[in-house]
Amino acid sequence: MENNALTFSNVSAGYKHRKVLDQVSFTIRAGEFVSLIGPNGCGKSTLLKTAAALLKPLSGVVELFGHDVHLLKPAHRASLLGVVPQKIDSPMAFTVSQIVMNGRISSMGRWGSMSSRDHDLVERSMIYTDVMGLRERFFTELSGGEQQRVALAMVLAQDPEMIMLDESISHLDINHRQEVLKILMNLNREKRMTILLVSHDLTLSASISDRFLLMNSGRLIKVGTPAEVLEPELLSSVYDCDLRVQQDPYSGYLHVSGAIDSLNRQKKLNRNVHVIAGGGSGIELYRRLLIEGYEVTTGVLNRLDSDAEAARALNIEVVLEQPFSPVGADAIAKALQMINSSDSVILSSVPFGSGNLVNLDLAREALKRGKTVLLADGIVDRDYTGGKAAIQIVSNLMRDGALCWHSISELMLQLQQHSHN
Amino acid sequence: MGKKDAEFCADNSFTGNRGIKSGLKVLIFFGATILLLALSMLLGPSGIGIPDMQSSSGSAIFSLRFSRLLMGMMTGAALSASGVVFQALLRNPLAEPYVLGVSGGAGLGATLSILAGSGLFVSLGLPVVAFLSAVLTLMVVYGIASQGSSGHPSVYSLILSGVIVSSICSSVIMFLVSTASVEGMHNVIWWMLGSLQPVSSAQQVLSAALILGGLGSIWLLSPRLNALALGREMAHYQGLHADLVLVAGLLFATLLAATAVSLSGMIGFVGLIVPHVMRAVFGPDNRKLVPLAALGGGTFLVVCDALARTLLAPIEIPVGVVTALAGGPFFLIILQRRMKQAWIA
Repeated sequence: MENNALTFSNVSAGYKHRKVLDQVSFTIRAGEFVSLIGPNGCGKSTLLKTAAALLKPLSGVVELFGHDVHLLKPAHRASLLGVVPQKIDSPMAFTVSQIVMNGRISSMGRWGSMSSRDHDLVERSMIYTDVMGLRERFFTELSGGEQQRVALAMVLAQDPEMIMLDESISHLDINHRQEVLKILMNLNREKRMTILLVSHDLTLSASISDRFLLMNSGRLIKVGTPAEVLEPELLSSVYDCDLRVQQDPYSGYLHVSGAIDSLNRQKKLNRNVHVIAGGGSGIELYRRLLIEGYEVTTGVLNRLDSDAEAARALNIEVVLEQPFSPVGADAIAKALQMINSSDSVILSSVPFGSGNLVNLDLAREALKRGKTVLLADGIVDRDYTGGKAAIQIVSNLMRDGALCWHSISELMLQLQQHSHN
Repeated sequence: MGKKDAEFCADNSFTGNRGIKSGLKVLIFFGATILLLALSMLLGPSGIGIPDMQSSSGSAIFSLRFSRLLMGMMTGAALSASGVVFQALLRNPLAEPYVLGVSGGAGLGATLSILAGSGLFVSLGLPVVAFLSAVLTLMVVYGIASQGSSGHPSVYSLILSGVIVSSICSSVIMFLVSTASVEGMHNVIWWMLGSLQPVSSAQQVLSAALILGGLGSIWLLSPRLNALALGREMAHYQGLHADLVLVAGLLFATLLAATAVSLSGMIGFVGLIVPHVMRAVFGPDNRKLVPLAALGGGTFLVVCDALARTLLAPIEIPVGVVTALAGGPFFLIILQRRMKQAWIA
């Protein structure tokens, strides 16, 4: 048994006027589960096409289980390597079982007859991918996830030693993606099938792959275990954005995510904003203010309020009060301290009742101390104090120089103007 | 393999050739075909019914009807099977036998031959010229489409260059016709309308050989055509010589169409609609579709021809007119009901 499934030796490949792959060399051992990652347009699909002999390399050699892939007979190649494309589409109304039978095309008799082994392979791959129940349905009528499983069944019916998937799972919803991945992992573990998966979901790939191949502009940048390849500095330079890699404390899996907060730190504005919110009305405000680079504080909030949860998650300094109790003097003092050190105070479109009316007093206090106060409009609909107390306070605030905002983007503009003044 | 697995695989009922129902459909289709062919032998401008076989005129009528039946079977089968292949290879529901310029090329050749011969054209001369110019056109179209694509013309460039070459040819035909004599114009237009007037027996034998050979080759290709329905790349991944199948399919389908044109002129509609209807009824599996469409196309054309020569007797309606007028509404009904099973685009 040949130990190497796929070997590229100094392969350059591409199209007539454009070289896409530049001196690529790597080896995938039989039975490995490898993910091929890299930004869009870096040559991943070209690499797959070259591996499947659809493209002839300009130089270098591609070997599939020890054979030069371009010298292999097509039927022999199909028995070694199957390719699941991003999407297959059938213009004519073939049924699912007819589509899957295409996987046996290279071993069919002259008149398209199938041996009982062919039938067995078709049936087994349909059971494996759980599409048996769909066999009489028209392929075109199926959902994207079902189509992708049928495509996988068709390729499995080839009974290949290795399969390559070209972003075949990226557009599936999370449920179907897990399902297809489970099938792939079973194939890899149980049947020792070699798998090369082109993927954009680095976290997902990290959890299932033995090794990563990282490509960038036609070159292989790094080959190694997920932990070796998923280096924040390396990834950030390849993908040209800030990325963060964290290890899940429970599963040990690596999580790759865009690091929004590191973005903030870069363009810090040194402007402090205090937000008075509640009931979820502050979440979007917090997010936008952080992205724009403001230092944000907030309060007074009820400990169980969803805004309090959001503030904690976003690392925003927050003044809290026990639920179902009036706002105490301590909390008010702390909030006033925050307001003192802030440049502007923003009131979200939070409804006011007797319990949080004290927050409007905080705004009045801010105005007195010369802070810019920005109020969300529409207080008329949010006054639940019974005696129009909130409306009264707000109109007083407006008279004393508080500003009114309608949308968050408008608010951002107002804040910018005031920070220039 | 476990015991359960073995039991499972012993019975291939899931993917095996199931279907009393589809078998019955085919049987009914065969029965209807035979019936319609027999019926068309009874129709003609000399009256409805079996002609008196004792008299010499009666047996002449019978043999004339029979050779028109053969002409119709050959032409219809060739056009319809060719349409199946074009639709499968080009993955386009509008594809038909003339899509790669066969009609334009053959028409131009025939027009030149008719006008140059000015009335004295030899019976073998015209069809041969039509055939050769159709094949020449195919080569030009393929050559243009292959430019700048490293020898593998894309489906779109093939269709596009076919359409362009076709329209250039028809412009030249129009120019020639507009400058021709009245008699020349009449001959050209009659040829272009198409008719199943029997050609010389030498040509019939030659055409029959070409058409049978073409149909056989296409039938041999048909399992591969199924795989190509998912596109050339997918067919390649599944272990086919995809480009070889594509080129061979286009070549055989064009030869069938060219032979049909050289036999009977330009009969439209059969190669577009019959494949669609047969696909709607019997499904898109080309292994079944190729022979069934050939039989269906032949029968359809024979019936249309019987109507064409009978309805307004002694005037004969051009058969192409009948194929469109009689077939159109009927096919629209079938397609509307069963389009889903034929083509989902």
